[in-house]
Amino acid sequence: MIIDCDVHHCLESNEELLPFIPEPYRSEVAEYGLRQLASGIRYEHGGHRRDLKVESGGPTLNSPEYMRKKLLDPYGMRYVILTGQTGPVAGMPDPDYQAAICRAWNDYTISKWLPSDERFRMGIQLPVADPLLAAAEIERLGDHPGVVCALIAGTASRIPFGQRFYWPIYEAAERKNLTIHFHPSTTSVIANLGSTAAGMASSYLESHACLPQFYQAYVASFIFEGVFEKFPGLRVALIEGGVSWLVHLMWRMDKEFKALRRQAPFLKRLPSEYVRDHVRLGTQPMEEPKKKEHMLQIFDMIDAEHTLMYASDYPHFDFDEPVVLPKGISDDTRQRILHDNACEFFNLPPLPERMSAEVA
Amino acid sequence: MISNQENPVSAEKSGWTHFAAENEVNSGEPKISKIRGKEIGLFFVQGKYYAVLNHCPHEGAPMCAGKVGGLVTSEGPGRLGYDPERKILSCPWHHWEFDLETGLAVAAIRQKIKTYPVKTEGGSVWVKV
Repeated sequence: MIIDCDVHHCLESNEELLPFIPEPYRSEVAEYGLRQLASGIRYEHGGHRRDLKVESGGPTLNSPEYMRKKLLDPYGMRYVILTGQTGPVAGMPDPDYQAAICRAWNDYTISKWLPSDERFRMGIQLPVADPLLAAAEIERLGDHPGVVCALIAGTASRIPFGQRFYWPIYEAAERKNLTIHFHPSTTSVIANLGSTAAGMASSYLESHACLPQFYQAYVASFIFEGVFEKFPGLRVALIEGGVSWLVHLMWRMDKEFKALRRQAPFLKRLPSEYVRDHVRLGTQPMEEPKKKEHMLQIFDMIDAEHTLMYASDYPHFDFDEPVVLPKGISDDTRQRILHDNACEFFNLPPLPERMSAEVA
Repeated sequence: MISNQENPVSAEKSGWTHFAAENEVNSGEPKISKIRGKEIGLFFVQGKYYAVLNHCPHEGAPMCAGKVGGLVTSEGPGRLGYDPERKILSCPWHHWEFDLETGLAVAAIRQKIKTYPVKTEGGSVWVKV
């Protein structure tokens, strides 16, 4: 059984979203379309796999039926977490417009996708331009049984996401027991003028290779701002950043903290210990070192058995099948990465046989 | 793509298998058929046929759903070119590029796609598997 932590459902057309958008934005979108932040960099074919094509008489490309046929059924998914599209909302400078479109996306997903298959779960888009509006959205939908996480476009923000400006979001997420789910966004890098830590890269290739730089900054921010001390129940998932970078960050944070503890005196434990308890990584895109044993060593160093969760990134071109996990890990570790870690981290019902084993 | 997965084409003793009529595959969509349990795609590119195993050596994507185009070349940073006569098949998943003539990957990696000899005879296209 597999849980997929990152699956991008799409609109058939903007018209699908219109009924969920309140005025005055509905008229605006009907006439002019959704507001655009152009990335200036290219990912081919819309960033999607080229083998996903409509078959004659078959379901449309962006339908739940098509996703069932190409992902849920063939891979034996127990749950997939729908993360939608960041483009319509991420980096939008108008917080009220951003909030309206986030709400519309969330209501659209609840209305169309969740009822269509019991295996669908979802993240709610958050209008992080105004953290109070984001907290209000968590308040509005956080108790919905199909909602398992709150989505934040995790590339480039004006300030690091651990700072107090964003704390209303984490307060609400902790209270509603929702996992924070970071995902990259090219529109947010445009809005914040930096697709790498060193500024704006000129290619998608370069910016995507450097994506972990943002997650490094956010993990450090969450820890050294004391977010996990203030909100001890908060859980943070980092998706599409790969996994190997976490080793170095944990080592470096621990070393720096031992020297500079007085700059974060509220921390009661080593930074790496907070990572183990509060942070999880999506597996995609899994790194591919020349020596396969190096990947196993990395897995050991980052305690992959507990910190990794399988993500496919369907339907994007850099999609990973579940078999992408390296050979050489134990069956138990594989089970934990493919299912159990996500089950716990997103508060999903455990498998009955696992419950029996624990009771025994 | 044109798929004929349910009806494997018949094999001759010489190892050559009749795959398609000469006009059946044109530039654009390949024809996919199963020969001896292997799913093989037949491409027609710039007047020549290429037969490719429908399996990417990277992560097993259906290679024949990929795009065929020319080769982006470069003599150095800031000097990009394009060779339309090279026939490059890109994987539909992770976009790895392979030369249809040789099967070799374009990037400096050792993987290659499996290609098969093709001949045209008697108005038909034959593949040797």
